[in-house]
Amino acid sequence: MNNLMIKLMLICMVSMVTATVYADPEKDKQLLTDFFKARFAGVPLQEFANGSYAYDTIGRASWEAIEEFPPYEIAVDEGEAMWETPFANGKSYQDCFPDGPAIGHKYPHWDDKQGKVVTMALAINQCREANGEKPLKYKKGSINNILSYVSFLSRGKKTQVVIPENNKDAMAAYEDGKKFFFTRRGQLNFSCATCHIQNAGMKIRSEVLSPALGQTTHFPVYRSKWGAVGTLHRRFTGCNKQVRAKPFKAQGEQYRNLEYFLTYMSNGLELNGPGARK
Amino acid sequence: MKIVTIIILSIAISLISSVAVAGDQKAAESAIAAAEQSRKKAASVDGEWRDTGKMIKKAQAAMKDGKFDKAIKIANFAERQGQYGYEQAVSQKTLTMPSYLK
Repeated sequence: MNNLMIKLMLICMVSMVTATVYADPEKDKQLLTDFFKARFAGVPLQEFANGSYAYDTIGRASWEAIEEFPPYEIAVDEGEAMWETPFANGKSYQDCFPDGPAIGHKYPHWDDKQGKVVTMALAINQCREANGEKPLKYKKGSINNILSYVSFLSRGKKTQVVIPENNKDAMAAYEDGKKFFFTRRGQLNFSCATCHIQNAGMKIRSEVLSPALGQTTHFPVYRSKWGAVGTLHRRFTGCNKQVRAKPFKAQGEQYRNLEYFLTYMSNGLELNGPGARK
Repeated sequence: MKIVTIIILSIAISLISSVAVAGDQKAAESAIAAAEQSRKKAASVDGEWRDTGKMIKKAQAAMKDGKFDKAIKIANFAERQGQYGYEQAVSQKTLTMPSYLK
């Protein structure tokens, strides 16, 4: 009898550990949504796509004024020109993305053939390389133009990241991204969650911290600090540097998996990029 | 006779100091190597800190300028950063959800 009890207890403990490690993405999303709904009661869900401007009224007033003459407009125009200009071989982005350019909601996604998460930026460079063009840099420069154009035309479409059912590799990538998000790193011992969940709405110096919910909907982003439009992975790099951790490679596995998790958390929110931030 | 003594003494002093310098340089090289090893260990678990690599470069530059004490001090600091970064990453090998989200 005692042995049976011990066995049962062990089974329960193992299943609890398994449940912790392999959480249900939909449950994770609900947990996060409930957390923000409780913390910022009265803020409509879609508002979180506007980052900290969902609850920072002073910042919001400045942002709305900036949006009257959007600083990312030039990038969108240049991105359109890039989309329309054929490659040296006569093909174009349209050949790679037949449903494009309003395809922002289809990324990131799990690609079974490649066995990895494919982001919009990665897909653009894969398209370029397949057509004999040089890949673009992943943080600064003209990749932001084409991303801005795609993002602008994808406005209003809903974030809909899919984790294919019974796909262990895709789930592992999601879990990896989730672990990254909650892992404390750097000399300051901060995780992404420390700022963007636990302390969302609080201030770091003069800045109001944004919520993890809706963080991916408005990228690429024109940041006044950068004086240019920059990619999501450039922002990841900046965040990691700020907590004094060595950043990872843009479009490397760590950041792509992080994007997979983070974008999943925003499922259902409308895309509203490119954005403008301080 | 006096001149010969002075010459012998000078040679002896310069020999002793060059041996000391070589010893200091070796100690600095060893400290930098240890720091680099520590940095790599932290990086192997994605735990490297932002400034560790920069510190090692500073230590190398100080050694090049003959400032061995400074090089050793910086390298030792970098080595500790590597250790902390490694321990930080390993301690979180298993994901634990924070209490505020449970």
